[in-house]
Amino acid sequence: MIGLWTRGLVLRRGGRLLAASAGVAIAVALLASLGAFLTASKSTMTQRASSSVFVDWQVQLASGADAAAALSTVAAAPGVRAALPVSFGSTSGFEATTGGSTQTTGAGVVLGLPPGYATTFKGSIRLLSGSLDGVLIAQQTAANLHVAPGDTITVGRPGIAPAKVQIAGVVDLPQADSLFQKVGAPPQSQPVAPPDNVMLLPQQAFTQVFGLLEAVRPDLITQQIHVSRSHQLPPDPASSYTAITAAAHNLEAQLAGAGLVGDNLGAALGGARKDALYAQVLFLFLGLPGAILAAVLTAAIASAGGVRRRREQALLRARGASLRQLVRLAWVEAALIGLTGGALGLLLARGVGRWAFGTSSFGATSSETLRWTVGAFVVGLAIAAVSVLVPSIRDFRQSTVAGARVVLRRARSPWWMRYGVDLMLLALSGLLFWVTSRGDYTLVIAPEGVATISVDYWAFLGPALLWMGSGLFAWRLALLFLAHGKGLLTRLVRPLTGQLASTTAAGMSRQRTVLARSVVLVALAFSFAGSTAVFNATYQQQAEVDARLTNGADIAVTESPGVAVGPDAAAALMSIPGVRSVEPLQHRFAYVGADLQDLYGVRPATVAGATSLQNAYFQGGTAAEMIARLAKVPDSILVSDETVKDFQLSLGDLIKLRLQNGRTKQFTAVTFHYAGIAKEFPTAPHDSFFVANADYIAKATSDSTVGTFLVDAGGQDIRRTAAAIQGKLGPSATVTDITSTRATIGSSLTSVDLAGLTRVELAFALVLAAAAGGLVLALGLAERRRTFAIASVLGASARQLRGLVLSEAALVTIGGLAAGIVSGWLLSQMLVKVLTGVFDPAPEAVVVPWSYLAVTAAVAGGAVVLAALMAARRSSRPAVEELREL
Amino acid sequence: MSRQSQALQSIRFQELVGSRNAPASDSALVSCEDVARTYGSGLSAVVAVHGVSITINPRDRVALVGPSGSGKSTLLHLMAGLERPTSGRVSWPALEGDPTGRPGLVGMVFQGPSLLPALDVIENVALPLVLAGMVDAEAQSRAAEALERLDIGGLRTKWPEELSGGQAQRVAVARVLAGRPVLILADEPTGQLDEATGAHVVDVLVEAADELAAALVVSTHDPAVAARLESIWRMRDGAIKSVSSSHADSTGGAE
Repeated sequence: MIGLWTRGLVLRRGGRLLAASAGVAIAVALLASLGAFLTASKSTMTQRASSSVFVDWQVQLASGADAAAALSTVAAAPGVRAALPVSFGSTSGFEATTGGSTQTTGAGVVLGLPPGYATTFKGSIRLLSGSLDGVLIAQQTAANLHVAPGDTITVGRPGIAPAKVQIAGVVDLPQADSLFQKVGAPPQSQPVAPPDNVMLLPQQAFTQVFGLLEAVRPDLITQQIHVSRSHQLPPDPASSYTAITAAAHNLEAQLAGAGLVGDNLGAALGGARKDALYAQVLFLFLGLPGAILAAVLTAAIASAGGVRRRREQALLRARGASLRQLVRLAWVEAALIGLTGGALGLLLARGVGRWAFGTSSFGATSSETLRWTVGAFVVGLAIAAVSVLVPSIRDFRQSTVAGARVVLRRARSPWWMRYGVDLMLLALSGLLFWVTSRGDYTLVIAPEGVATISVDYWAFLGPALLWMGSGLFAWRLALLFLAHGKGLLTRLVRPLTGQLASTTAAGMSRQRTVLARSVVLVALAFSFAGSTAVFNATYQQQAEVDARLTNGADIAVTESPGVAVGPDAAAALMSIPGVRSVEPLQHRFAYVGADLQDLYGVRPATVAGATSLQNAYFQGGTAAEMIARLAKVPDSILVSDETVKDFQLSLGDLIKLRLQNGRTKQFTAVTFHYAGIAKEFPTAPHDSFFVANADYIAKATSDSTVGTFLVDAGGQDIRRTAAAIQGKLGPSATVTDITSTRATIGSSLTSVDLAGLTRVELAFALVLAAAAGGLVLALGLAERRRTFAIASVLGASARQLRGLVLSEAALVTIGGLAAGIVSGWLLSQMLVKVLTGVFDPAPEAVVVPWSYLAVTAAVAGGAVVLAALMAARRSSRPAVEELREL
Repeated sequence: MSRQSQALQSIRFQELVGSRNAPASDSALVSCEDVARTYGSGLSAVVAVHGVSITINPRDRVALVGPSGSGKSTLLHLMAGLERPTSGRVSWPALEGDPTGRPGLVGMVFQGPSLLPALDVIENVALPLVLAGMVDAEAQSRAAEALERLDIGGLRTKWPEELSGGQAQRVAVARVLAGRPVLILADEPTGQLDEATGAHVVDVLVEAADELAAALVVSTHDPAVAARLESIWRMRDGAIKSVSSSHADSTGGAE
């Protein structure tokens, strides 16, 4: 019997089976794709985090420890690839005489590096000018001392005579923060900034310079062992973090008090695990609604055949089929749908992976891919069981043979409507959103140094309840409108149905359960598509803002230390093909009290032309207003929030900064007036900086030297233009372009292939919107083919039949889109607010990708209209089978 | 209602639906010339009707009898224009063309339930009139009238699923009568009815056909129903094997 039934199902209900399988396939494909993407991106995050660290561990040796024994212990530790001893010496200061003036600095740090350090820890020392062989000096120190390769510097040694060294090169230490960390100290006790004055000596030279000092003042010399580890780590950043932290603790135990491990690799992985959690959160926020929608869609498709199924069950029971046999038949149908849908879904996921990421496994390892494949397949089977098997079994248990003959029952409000569940969900969503979004709310918490990380899953409830509540509320509105708005409905459908308007409205009112369900499906699909698209567009915009904030403009030309270039050099850059405009940006270092901070001098009239200044960068006014203040009162200065707090500043307060004078090379006091807060500024560091009027700074310091030129290339051929600029300027300047910056900056979340994820999500959302509208309506209409056959037999013209079905299509499209737009808009606002931590910097406003939304609306509407027209066309001359049943 | 007033109503309806729907007085309503209808092809082909040549004239009263599967329903569908012949020709000279999509010309009572589940009884009965362009209020009043004629005026606000098989069939008959067609085709209209109700339905069909000057073709297994009509056409294996009338029996095609 089962074989016969299966054959019949495939032959006679093939289309319906395929449609339900398509629903399952979408859910399976979405889960498999996003799951594989999630694991692949986590693995990418681990790789990026580990490759971003140049010195994995810094083992600080205890004073008096046996350095050679410690080195051999460290080198023998599992996973250690290389271990090199590094000496740290404190100097009382540096002094240099150049151009007739003598510059001195405060206390500094001198490192003694063994041969091969730069090659073992690639990237830890970046040469800016000169050569790596010999004495190296940090960029900022070189700027303070006004020295270049070849110059001589005097190194102060407390208690003994200073020593002289000749500079071979100027370098940048990209990871100065971790290099000069206080090993073993908790995060709050770490130095706020790395030392201003840094020199790197070859080990031999270090011994010459500091050997004597070590004998006199051993407290000023410390030893570290820098370690490069194997980066064969578990793919998940959290697991990697745990593994590396445990290995560090193990090493400390082996050293038995001889040293403490500064775990740079662990710290980087600690940051990445937070991003990995955010990625997981994004998966939940953006992927799950799609899968749920696909499941609901499958249920809707399956229930569109509910009347037919009940009739067939009634017949089978009348012919003596037992309950067990009926359950078996329902199992067969569910299994057919689940297996077909699952297989189709996995194929689709492979295709999607290839299309969006160029690899069908999304970059995940084969075991992870297999896990997600199996998981998604099982979910597909579960969806088929819930949407096909459960309703069938419920029917067996609840309906009688006589009852099953009844095609339509008196419509009664659904239970959730009677109890106001939709309104409760909306209210609860609002309440949760209010609770979770006020104050210093953090969605993901990954405390430094603590293995446990957590996500505030309550925050999910706000958007989730809003999505469900708005769907049910749309359902309520559609039902109420169709039940009580017959007069209005008649008027609305008249343009399509003419004389038949009243009859059409009566029929639609009677079909309100089916129609309302279609409206809700379109609304949910559009809301999902809309909120996903808005979120992704906003994210991409902020990633771009972040890149622009870091690089400053399309191209940034940073003059090398010791190279003094005035604003006039902009003209030379302008002559390079591809350059549209050049904005000089002064970059100085200014002392405020004992603090050294970056100072940026801008030309208020033109600064906004080459770089983008967002209102969110400033506090207390818009970007335009703040820059206008600098123009209006030239000695105005914008300071960071932190500085305002530290110095208890009020608007208009006088600030005295010590700036280096261009002529005397001495630091002299320059007065400014506090005019507002700058939270972010192109090329500026995250923490503390100043922004002031460039002309005022030039006048006050007799120095118009420009630190960086911001070049606008109009977004075109940026790399080529950057290369042309670099070619022209040679080593006198560092040229960075925004395309390279995009790839390197920010959190590892930005750097995973979100563009691919966006493509996947938006494509699925589009398919879901089309399926929700077209497929469900088409199946609903197909289920009523008999109705249209009768209307046709009674004399309905093709135009009249078209009017009948188009009225339903119009209701589903317009109602669904209207409800979807409202709930999608609310959902986007909520998502962006709840997921604020994902954005860097936080967005000023959400970005609405109108073209995508228009395409989605057109596709959903088009699918609905197409389904309606096909149904009308088929009905204009009924099929023989339909006539036979009359 | 008198025959005269009903005839007047019929004329008004014909005026309403347009002059092209009015039958040309002496022409045949339906003419089938060597018509055949085959389903499928090759070895699995089923010949439902073949070699049928018949003519239905205004006021004809025909009973189409024959065993199940003899092609009665198919022949009725062909006459109504709902199916196309695979060979031969079906024409409607008095109707000036195919009646499909032109409500009010041919009324068909089906064997099975044929009410629209989404509409209540009165809306179902009024539907052909609305399709023909009549305003709602008038169509509903005509529908109510037709329901009263069949003594089922009390069912007007019921939904189709609330009706018994017999009630639904009478509503379907009322729907045909409300449309006032020139050709009434009834496919076993009494199949689901008890004897008395069946007899009443046939009475109503015959009376309505008389009043409307319409032709009536009824397919039936019931000899009593067949006996109520002037001609009896016997079908077997897709062909009309004999024609009997009040005068004499003959075999072959009917003209």
